[in-house]
Amino acid sequence: MIARNQYRISTSAIRRIRAYFLYLAIGLVAVYVGLIAPAIVNPFIDDFLAFIITQAAVPLVQIMLFVFFFFMILFPISDTLRELQTAQIEIFLASPVKPSDVLLGEFLGKMPFYAIAIAVVTGTFTAFLTPLGLDLAQIAIIIAVFVIMFLSAFWIGVVVAAVLGTKLGKIARGKDVGRALAVIIVLPMIGVLYAIIGGGLPEALANPGTSQVVRTALGVLPSSWSAEIFVAFASNPGDIGAVGFQTLTLFGGLLTFFITALWVGTKVANRAYSLDTSKFTSSTAKPDGFFYRTIRFVGGGRSFGSLLSSIFKDYSRRLENLSWIIYAVGVVVLMRVFISDYSSEPVDQLVFLSEMAIPILAAFVVGTVSRGKNILFIFKKSPSGIWKFVKTRLLQGWLVAVPIAAALIAVLTILLPQISLVSLLINMVWGSLRTLALVTVVLGLAIINPIFAEESRERNMGIAINLMVVLFATIGFGIGLRRIGLSFGKLLPNINTFTVILYDHLLLTMVFSLVGILLIYIGVRKLERIE
Amino acid sequence: MKVVIDTDKLSKFYGQGGEVKAIDELDLQVYEGETFGLLGPNGAGKTTTVRLLNCIIKPTNGSAYVNGYDILRNETKVKRATGLLAESPGLYEKLSAYEFLEFMAALYDVQNDIVHERIDGLLKLFGLYDRRDYLLEGYSRGMKQKILIASALIHDPPILFLDEPTSTLDPRAALMVKDLIKTLSDTAGKTIFICSHILPIVEELCDRIGVINQGRLIALGTVDEILALTKTKTLEEAFIAITGGAEEKELLAWR
Repeated sequence: MIARNQYRISTSAIRRIRAYFLYLAIGLVAVYVGLIAPAIVNPFIDDFLAFIITQAAVPLVQIMLFVFFFFMILFPISDTLRELQTAQIEIFLASPVKPSDVLLGEFLGKMPFYAIAIAVVTGTFTAFLTPLGLDLAQIAIIIAVFVIMFLSAFWIGVVVAAVLGTKLGKIARGKDVGRALAVIIVLPMIGVLYAIIGGGLPEALANPGTSQVVRTALGVLPSSWSAEIFVAFASNPGDIGAVGFQTLTLFGGLLTFFITALWVGTKVANRAYSLDTSKFTSSTAKPDGFFYRTIRFVGGGRSFGSLLSSIFKDYSRRLENLSWIIYAVGVVVLMRVFISDYSSEPVDQLVFLSEMAIPILAAFVVGTVSRGKNILFIFKKSPSGIWKFVKTRLLQGWLVAVPIAAALIAVLTILLPQISLVSLLINMVWGSLRTLALVTVVLGLAIINPIFAEESRERNMGIAINLMVVLFATIGFGIGLRRIGLSFGKLLPNINTFTVILYDHLLLTMVFSLVGILLIYIGVRKLERIE
Repeated sequence: MKVVIDTDKLSKFYGQGGEVKAIDELDLQVYEGETFGLLGPNGAGKTTTVRLLNCIIKPTNGSAYVNGYDILRNETKVKRATGLLAESPGLYEKLSAYEFLEFMAALYDVQNDIVHERIDGLLKLFGLYDRRDYLLEGYSRGMKQKILIASALIHDPPILFLDEPTSTLDPRAALMVKDLIKTLSDTAGKTIFICSHILPIVEELCDRIGVINQGRLIALGTVDEILALTKTKTLEEAFIAITGGAEEKELLAWR
């Protein structure tokens, strides 16, 4: 019953197709595993064959499976922390149901979604193995290994989510802390992913010393046992006996791990579901210090200064907002470290900052309008309220994003070899101007298509949509202008590349500013019509 | 007596072709200094009426004047003349009570030199002065309601709209709000427009009441006039008689 309830909650957004959702999902997964995955991996098969017999094979597969394993632990945790629901725990506690059954029910209710994720990942990995000539027994073992490993991960995630959710649900700021953690916890995994994609990790693992360190460090994890089996079978296709003992040991270990995790989880559940308040604290506000007095001053000191200061306080006291900033800065730094070319010129720095870093920052700072429509109605009730609302949100967005962008730009630019002070200052000024423009654009987009949901999931979706739009716009505009030959390089052929790119980007910044103002104007009209 | 709220065939329709008539040709006059109660079942159109009269939404047809100002042409003046406690009010939970009132004062351009004195006065009046620096997220529902009523009064408007002012309050807080409404009406000369389901409160506080159902005003007058009209003894009976209600037998038919 609990599992069915959980399934209904999970599929409430698609309840119209709920009756045939599972058949649809099975069909799509079958198409992916049978047709799409083999087609995707086909171009890489020769490289894979060469790679699988190298020193780097085991540690790299270990790392890849570790990333998936960890993501699958994080998924239920992040999902739960985003929207803590203590009221539901109360329903369960009031009913004659054992906490372990509640936990198991929730796990089983989400199982269809976990199964889809497991099938996709497993299907992709087995697609690499099929052309190698593995026999059916080997394929079956690989599938079983992956299923057990990932089910363990999801189960651990569900248990940790239940414990964390209950603990955080007891404290006043629990929801806020949960939402903040849900954002932050994925950052280390993104770092590992970027390191694999562009950080030269495979090359580093070719070194026997490095390879051994990684194998030893990750060796204790069940994902690494699966990796050992995977590489052993791939190296000995059709010959299960060659690695029989090793397979038996690792598979047995994996099974034991899964059963132990299940047992521990059900024991922990009895302690996890409790609504006893551990401590009762209420946060208080201190009198305005220098910072908020400055904010008030920036807002003109009078009523608008007060409004700005209030909006700023509400923003900065939410850990979730701060976690988004940390996330944005973290992603930008990780991209710069692992993805982009480190030996680049200042000119590449400009392109990277303009097309990636600043849009990400802008989207995470002003990507949504407000929590709940009722907040908007406070402003709608007051004289010229909508304009006041948008002006304060815009100024608040600028005040948050511009200093962070400037600092980020300064750090990233200083890291370049032989950078001059002039280039550094130019980058900072230009970057700040671009940030002003893009914050305006993103806020305009956010108010044109406002999302007032209290729930993080919907608000995050809004942020993601606005981020995509502004990313494509910045990249698209840049490429578009270059394609039609609109560049200062043509008007002023004697100036250097850095200056040309800088002028081009300043022109684009002006274009974005105008677009942003237009979007804000349209958005205000839209907000005024909302009922 | 001076009419401060005057509606003329005020209508608000929703949906394609306006098939949902939230308010249908509402004709209503509320007098200065009067406490007026608007009663009606859920979905009758009470909140829509309040939102129309506060210029939060625009009418489909008809017109209305609040404190002498046209709700369509003098939006800003209407908003300055009214204070609103909404049924589902927005609240910045990360602000303290003091900071939230300061924010509301800024929204209505209350002069800086009187803001602090007024906020302190309101916090003392509502018994929240000692908790003024606590963030609103830690407040109980009743305490939040008090802050919201205080915020509706922050710019000292002559007309106050209270949409379900006591529905979430404990008896003690409800009594306090009731007394406050009386004081505001009797001594401060405010015009108060109350929407409520709690009939005893409306009965005790309001000089006149209107009953609205499915967007139409179906009864208007003093409590005695309504009782006489419906030939009932209590306002509850009158309300059921006017709006229609299930008999006890029907309610328990499933047993």
